[in-house]
Amino acid sequence: MTAWGLAWRTIARSPARSVLAVAGVTVIGALLFDMLLLSRGLLVSFRDLLDAAGFDIRVVAAEGSMVHRPPMAGAASLADAIARLPGVRRATLVSSDTAIAIAPSQSRSGTRVSLLGTNDAASGSVLTLVSGSPLPSAAPPGDVPVLVSPKLAAALQLQPGSALQLRLFLPGSASALPLVTAHVTGIAQFAFEAADEYTVATTMDGFAAAHGKPADGVAEMVLVSTDSTQPGSEASAAAAIARLRPDLRVLSNDQVMEQFNQNAFSYFRQISTVLSSMTLAFAFLLIATLLTMSVNQRLGEVAALRALGFPRRRIAANLLWESVLLVGVGGLAALPVGALLAVVLDRILREMPGVPGRLHFFVFEPRAILLHVALLSVTGILAAVYPIWLATRLPIAATLRREILS
Amino acid sequence: MSGLNRGRASAFAAALLIAVALPAATAPASAALPPILISRQLAERDHLRPGDIVTMALDATGSGSRQFRVEGTYEPTPDPVRFTARRLEARVHLPELVAMTEVSGDPASADSLTAINVKLTNPSNADAFSAAVASRAPGVFARPTARAKDGSDPFAVLERFHVAVAAVTVLGSTAFLLALMVMRAEERRETIGIIRLIGISERSILLEVLAEGLLIATAGAVFGIVLAIATQGLVNQFFQWRYDTALVFVRVTRAIALQSIAVSVPLGILAGLVGSWTLLRRDVLALLGR
Repeated sequence: MTAWGLAWRTIARSPARSVLAVAGVTVIGALLFDMLLLSRGLLVSFRDLLDAAGFDIRVVAAEGSMVHRPPMAGAASLADAIARLPGVRRATLVSSDTAIAIAPSQSRSGTRVSLLGTNDAASGSVLTLVSGSPLPSAAPPGDVPVLVSPKLAAALQLQPGSALQLRLFLPGSASALPLVTAHVTGIAQFAFEAADEYTVATTMDGFAAAHGKPADGVAEMVLVSTDSTQPGSEASAAAAIARLRPDLRVLSNDQVMEQFNQNAFSYFRQISTVLSSMTLAFAFLLIATLLTMSVNQRLGEVAALRALGFPRRRIAANLLWESVLLVGVGGLAALPVGALLAVVLDRILREMPGVPGRLHFFVFEPRAILLHVALLSVTGILAAVYPIWLATRLPIAATLRREILS
Repeated sequence: MSGLNRGRASAFAAALLIAVALPAATAPASAALPPILISRQLAERDHLRPGDIVTMALDATGSGSRQFRVEGTYEPTPDPVRFTARRLEARVHLPELVAMTEVSGDPASADSLTAINVKLTNPSNADAFSAAVASRAPGVFARPTARAKDGSDPFAVLERFHVAVAAVTVLGSTAFLLALMVMRAEERRETIGIIRLIGISERSILLEVLAEGLLIATAGAVFGIVLAIATQGLVNQFFQWRYDTALVFVRVTRAIALQSIAVSVPLGILAGLVGSWTLLRRDVLALLGR
């Protein structure tokens, strides 16, 4: 009989014990798999979000960051200049503020919303039109056309054509601007809208009008889309923008990712590393203990096999196969269990305020499976080392004598 | 914000400003300069010491720049919301900050600030106070500092995540514990057969298993807590080093220790009982292999 066959019979001889051991490996393996998904999940998901928005370069004020974006003077003329650069497809202005939205039929207390100003009327980039019309590229002065998110539309019972009053506040002042009446042109999904947030988007002119002033060419950020079919267009466009306005920060998607990776996402990477290590240590200890106890129970059997002429190599192979079977079956079962668990854990973490609704903490990548298999294999092999040493170094005659006497 | 008596403002205003250290020798009248406190992180980065003269400005072009004398350094109050951020901060007296930020021709700018911290006589009135401020001062957002009761703050979410991970770990370790207990019971099959053969009742054996389980589970739980207490310093040191913060990440509290015991001891006893139960319901002769 092969070492594999012998290992299978040993495991099958104690079904309750084996099922429990496999169940333990499955649960611990599922946790390990989830931690591997978590280690890069935010990065992968955020990268997808950035790429889906369709922009390669972001321009912000020098003293700002992607989170804190002071207004940039002359942003509109900069966007025009950027749009004329070779290899640039389009440049979009973005500004944001907080406002109170009041539906005429609702209470006067209103709903706090994020007001987004953009000159990008195209659907499919930062927003996807669900119903109604996109923002007009040109509107009469003082007109405030808006797109609202489906959540806000449901909360305030809005539809295309509805009126919506907006109240904005003067920064650094304990007073509010007069109510501005906007009209809803459509309902749109916003890529970066958080689960606990309501978003309203308007044109840059509408944004200025809501603030009670004419368009002044100020924006928080310029988003730039380059021609990805031309190699090096992103780098050359970034360099050209930096030359146009050396006082601003020009960030590629990679640099934005690096910023978030260094700061906002690092906690989850660290926690996943710590939990993965602990999970592996835990699995190692438990498999090693199970195999050691199993060997201790079968000392007589092992000594008898050795006395019959079984080489040490076969005894070692038998124990190694036992470990491989327990860890292998448990590790495989851990994948679907881990996937289910990841859905639950992801749902918990996405309740965090301010997290974009489309951002996920646990994201599947093929490398996670490869790492999972590699780490569990190494753990299984290491866990079998001590029991193998115990079984192969067994004094045959003394063990047999002790077994007969007992 | 209108109405604030700046002369009586005792608080320091923290500002993220651009600091340029100047050699102390270039400023003979340094004692006359207003004092500034520098965060430990900023002091380390720019090699600042008490007595140094620094120029603070609102932006890289040097607008609103003023000179200060470094009075000392301070450890920023740990902020869990910003623990990944580098705390490059400085504190000056509020009038000094207002003097830097005020805009000529805008009298309101000299009477403006970002936030006011309010300590209420009765903290339970925080919600009512916030509502009153919001209704009287449009544009002012008043928020209680206490954690949201609906469990929506980031730490409540993180706590739920950690509890879920802990529950999965307990589930996995219970399966392993059961496997070990089943093996242990198998080891003692013959012993239990003999004990039952000489007339010891199943109830007595069960009680013995219960006592043994209680002892082992308690010892395991206590060992686990001691291990957690011993290693919490290492975990804290690692994360404090990684994020350059004084924030405490792990703290084994009495409540957590009791919670661990409350979960692990019954589980340990249960695993022991389940493992032994398979032997107790078997025939005595079968236990002895007859």
